[in-house]
This record gives sequence, structure tokens and C-alpha cells, in this order.
Amino acid sequence: MNDEIRALPKAYHEAIEHWQRHNFPDYPKLAEEWDRFFPKDEPFCLCAKIATDTPDDIEVGDHRGERKALVPKELPPEAAQHLLMQIKAQASTEFGSIQQHQGTLARAQEPQDHAWALRVMAEELRHGYQMVHLLTSADWSPVTDTKAADMVEEILSMQTGSHVLAAFNLEYDSFLDNVVFAAFIDRVGKYQLTMQKISAYRPYASSMPPMLREEAFHLAAGVIPLRRWVEAAARGDGYISMGDIQRAIAKWFGRGLEMFGDERGGQTNVKFGLKDMANREAQDMYVDELQRMLDDLNERYVRARFPNLPRDEAEARFARVRAGETVEGVGPDELLRLPDRRFFRRRGEPAYQMVGAHGESFTDVERYVAHVLAYLPEAYRASIDVKHWADLQRKVARGEMPLKEAISSMPRLARVGGACPCAKSVRWVMESTPN
Amino acid sequence: MSDLRVRPMNELDIEGICRIDEKITGRYRPEVWEQRVAYYIRRDPDSSQIAEQGGRVVGFMLGEVRGGEFGLEEPTGWVEFFGVDPGAREKGIGRRLIEALLAHFRARGAHVARTMVAAQDKEIAGFISAMGFSPAPLSALEKRL
Repeated sequence: MNDEIRALPKAYHEAIEHWQRHNFPDYPKLAEEWDRFFPKDEPFCLCAKIATDTPDDIEVGDHRGERKALVPKELPPEAAQHLLMQIKAQASTEFGSIQQHQGTLARAQEPQDHAWALRVMAEELRHGYQMVHLLTSADWSPVTDTKAADMVEEILSMQTGSHVLAAFNLEYDSFLDNVVFAAFIDRVGKYQLTMQKISAYRPYASSMPPMLREEAFHLAAGVIPLRRWVEAAARGDGYISMGDIQRAIAKWFGRGLEMFGDERGGQTNVKFGLKDMANREAQDMYVDELQRMLDDLNERYVRARFPNLPRDEAEARFARVRAGETVEGVGPDELLRLPDRRFFRRRGEPAYQMVGAHGESFTDVERYVAHVLAYLPEAYRASIDVKHWADLQRKVARGEMPLKEAISSMPRLARVGGACPCAKSVRWVMESTPN
Repeated sequence: MSDLRVRPMNELDIEGICRIDEKITGRYRPEVWEQRVAYYIRRDPDSSQIAEQGGRVVGFMLGEVRGGEFGLEEPTGWVEFFGVDPGAREKGIGRRLIEALLAHFRARGAHVARTMVAAQDKEIAGFISAMGFSPAPLSALEKRL
């Protein structure tokens, strides 16, 4: 890999290490688990990696064929604004996912699952570092009055509940969420990074290939434990049932869809050459890929339910069950399935439309709330997030709140936020910097 | 074979690889392939290649560039696991896979590709030879312990 390795200026590097000590206390275990589970791999590096072989010219949009911008001021002002929002949102997701994973990391039942999740977290930390590098290595003054140090401060001060995207404001209920999140939400991350690989801002485009290589493993860290769990569930000797996984899917799927942005939007990013697909197109591909993933998991489940059948016969039975038939006691209700895209949506085109998991429409809001609750994990049902959604759903259905207001509403978790918690009025970024 | 597509392997190819392996060996070994796929994906997800036709995996070739094996310091592209669905053979799938893998090795700075073939695998030896591989000035030795 022909990547340049870059370190942040000392103040920012130390700010991220400081953030890590508070938000990712298990990070010191990484070296030991790396030696055990990834002994042949390059050691982890908390650094920015810049691909050196990315195209010089803009690949899509109105300025296709022109030289990519090397500094923000070379972009049209509106494009630069969009880009800055992208970088800040991306940074928020990287740091946010670590905070989520940390809460339940220690509950992993298998040492390998723990090590894989720990590696995922460390690499998300590196991705956050990469975003901070983008914010601090260029002059953003043509785009914003906010100094780089203050932008970094804002990002590092976010907590679960105050991140940019809803998927990063949900607490994990168990290690099942670590895994389902990797399979569903990191997959959105893969799409975003892939789309941003063509960015008209070359430093951003060059940041994507190293991140994408790491992201590929994050998806495996989700799918492979799921594969094992569905097999154990089929044998009847597992701790996690198909129903548990299905409920976790119901929790995360809608939030993943919403990470693409409103289904009707995204053309501006394409026009500016910042992404190569509009939101709906990317979301469609994501859903197709998730369907493939569930087919893969379901096939393994059915295979394990009929362990003595030859493959061809097991595949034939899977096809029949998938088509809706109950075969030798295995019915379609046992298989994992994606809810309807409009189910439990809070953003985008179908926000608050009261569509059920199977696409059925509801007119009575109380029946709809009960329907959604029945599909969600028990621990999540007891969360402030679900109560917040149900309150908004009721208000929208009764005409007591405009849809737009409901869409922009996010529950604020009661947390210590803002400044570093280890001292009074201390900032994460300790020194003033030229930016 | 007009709709044959060769692309880098991802985590959703595991069951397809298991299917081919099972057809060849008669054994269903998902845990084995999960570990192998995870290994190659985390080290270089663009390296290992999949042949797909009609949305179904019909061939795979797993390998990566490493240096330092057996004292060979130069970056070497190692071709390590491959298989083609028995129902899809004689259609050039193996050739397409190895061409893609070798192209990736070159892009990663390797000037040599190496592999090992079991003596009894005449069919594989024939394929590897047809792909331009020749006996290396190294011998594989072993001692039972």
C-alpha cells in the first residue's frame, strides 16, 4: 500500500489521546490482543494515512475533468461548505461509534469477538484522527469563522446523544449491538467512504482508500459472528436467538437508511463532485447488499437445521422456506428479514408515515406504536430514545407537531458533555494553534 | 460467460466459497473459510478475488503480497487458496481470477508470484503451469513430528 503516514500537530494528537483515555479506556488492551489474534498484521498506527495514487482530476459533476482542489479555497464556496459538513459528520460518526462500542465491549462471550471489536474501535479512532487531520491541515477560513481548534473541540465534546446522526446516538443494549452495528451501520460507512473516494477535494479523496481497507474488516467483524450465532441458534445450543437478532435489525435498519440522507436528495453533492451517487441510489444498493447478507445468514441457519442433508437438498429446502413454505418444521418466520424501509422511520421521505414491518399501513397511532414496540429489543424499548420517538409519532399523527419539527428533533441524553471531565473548564485541545 | 464478473472478495462471499469447497472436497467447513476470509480481508481486502456469475460465486482465489517468507525478503505475491465450481469449469474462470490476482500483486510492488501445489494435484499443477508458473529453485521439505 503506497500510503503516506502523517501525524497531527502535538496539541491535536494529545487531544485525541486524552479523548481516548476518557472514552475508550480499553484501548491499552489492543497491543496484547493484536499479538494474539493478528500476529502477522502490521501493528496498529494512530496516524493519518494518505493514499498517493488517487486521481488528479474531478471525476463527476459540473467540474468533471478539472483539477481537484488541494485546499478548501479552490472549491466553489457552496461546495466547500458541503465538504466541511461531510468531514465533521464523518468525524462525529468515528468518535461516536467508539463511545457506543465501549459500553458493551467487555460483554463479548468469545475472546476473538472481543479482539475483533477492539480492533474495529481502534481503527475508528484512527479514522477520527484522519478527519481531525483534514480539519487541521488546511485553512478553512474561507468557509467558516470557526477556528480549527474549535471545530476539533466541538467534535471531541460530542457524546452519545449529541452526535450529528441518529445512529450514533443510540446506546448499545448488549454485545449483540456491537455486532449488528458493524454489519449494518459500518456498511453505510463503507458506502459513504466509497462515494467520497471521488471527492473533488483531493486530500479527502486520498483519505478514503486506507479507511476503506480497514472498513472491509469491520463488516466481517459483524457478519462472521452473526453467521456463527445463527448456526448455534439453529442447533439450539446458542445464547442468541434468531428473534434476538431480528429485533436488533429492527432497531438499527431504519437508522442506517437515514444515514444516507433524505431519499429525495444528494444531487448537490454529485453536482459539486463530492460524491458519485445521490442518496436514493446509494440506499437502494445498500438494501440489496443487506438482503444478500440476510440470505447468506438464513441459508446457513437452514443448513444447520438440516445438518445431515446434502447441500443441494438443503439449498432446495432453503429456497422453499424463503418462498414462504414451512418445511419439516422450519418456517419463514424463523428466518431473518429486513423490515419495510418505511418502518420506524424518523428522517427522510417516509418519516413518521406509520408503516409496519411488513409494509402494512396504520391509521391508529397507538396501534402503530404498539406494533413498533413489539418488534424492538426489550432493553431498547425502555430507552429514552424510544420514548422520544413514540411521543413525536403521537404528536405528528395528531397534528400537534409539524413533520419538519419532528424530523429535526433528537433526544438529549442527560450527560456530562462539553469540556473534558477530568478537570474544570479544560478543553480537549490544550494549546492554541496557528489555525 | 458474458456476465462473468471478477472482483475483490468481501465478507458476503463466505457461503459461496463454502459451497464450492464442499462440492470439491465433500466437506462443509464454514468456520475454516470464515477465518481465512477474515484474514485476507483484514490484511488487504483488494487482493483476493471472486468470480461471480448471475449473482452466484463460481470461483475464488485467495492470496496476498508478503515479504520475508522463507528468507525471501522481496515482496512476493502468494497464491494460496483457489477453487472453481465444478459445474463452471473449462470456461476460463481460473485464468480470469489469476490474472486479476497477479495484476493486484504487481500494483502492490511484487515482481514474483509463488504458490505450492500438492504432488497428487495434477489438475491444479496443470492449471498453474498453464498460467506461466514454473518450478522454483526452492524445494518444499517436511519432517513429521
